[in-house]
Amino acid sequence: MKNRLSSRKRVCEEIDLDMVPIMNMFLVLIPFLLMSASFFHLRAINTSVPVLAQSTSLQEEKSDIKLTVIVELGDKEIHLSAFSDEVDPSIIEGLDERIAADDPNDYPLNALLTSLKTIKARYPASDTMIIIPEDNVIYDTIIRTMDVARYSDESGLFPNVVLSGKVG
Amino acid sequence: MALGRTMRSRPRFIPPRLQITSMMDMFTIILIFLLFSFSNDIVTVKINKDIQLPKSNAKADYSDTLRLVVSQDRLWLGDEIVDRIEDGKIIGLSRDDVKESDLYRKLSTYREHFNQDGKKGKAGNQILFLCDRRLSFQTINSIIKTASMAGFPNFQFGVLKQ
Repeated sequence: MKNRLSSRKRVCEEIDLDMVPIMNMFLVLIPFLLMSASFFHLRAINTSVPVLAQSTSLQEEKSDIKLTVIVELGDKEIHLSAFSDEVDPSIIEGLDERIAADDPNDYPLNALLTSLKTIKARYPASDTMIIIPEDNVIYDTIIRTMDVARYSDESGLFPNVVLSGKVG
Repeated sequence: MALGRTMRSRPRFIPPRLQITSMMDMFTIILIFLLFSFSNDIVTVKINKDIQLPKSNAKADYSDTLRLVVSQDRLWLGDEIVDRIEDGKIIGLSRDDVKESDLYRKLSTYREHFNQDGKKGKAGNQILFLCDRRLSFQTINSIIKTASMAGFPNFQFGVLKQ
């Protein structure tokens, strides 16, 4: 009886795990990870400026109607328009829209998104948008507009964004 | 004899055991945090602390090209200060005489180097543009125009991941 009790006592004894090797590994890993840690993740938006190029419309196959959307960023207002060689000018004129901000502290990007989705639904082959900001529009607003134009619910709207100054 | 008895009655010295469980917990948390912020980017971009980059939902990675950094008062090309910016205007960059500006000359030099090195295609004429989000388009436009005139019409706008 006594023997059985003593053997049970031996089984219930605390087992000391040797944590020292794990600690050593942590001490090596942590400086390494600290050196290669980045706390700001930099990403890039590809864009270009308009350049003079020879027209390639004759060589391209007209599989679907493509139009280029123009977004003019004003101080508190966005002017949306489009151009295309393949669409009747009267239809193009119908796409003209002026979007004013309801809230003076906010930019009407949600309304712009709705209009862009409508255009994309009508002309799904279109993929180019030209952003023409006014001089006093800040860079942050331009980037937010680009974000709205490029993605919407993970689906691409107008992934080719061209930034241009006002001509004339 | 009396001393011997005292020594015998004194409890045996047990070496103290270091309690490292809490330390292990702390290290595990740090390790997990660092694993999440681990970056495998080959290129490290050092940005001046005055620059506030815009946040975006962009997913594309930047490439290691020529870097143009614009803060509210300075313009850098790579690690070199090219011009000062005062009230949103770049000192030494005139709208009428773009080709006489330092920025144009330096960019043209880079253009020639790239041409000689055979860096063609998009990577050869692309600039990574890191710009303060508070700057107006007027300032940005003059830089972009100068860069495109110097032979760099394609840009990568550097943004912070949202």
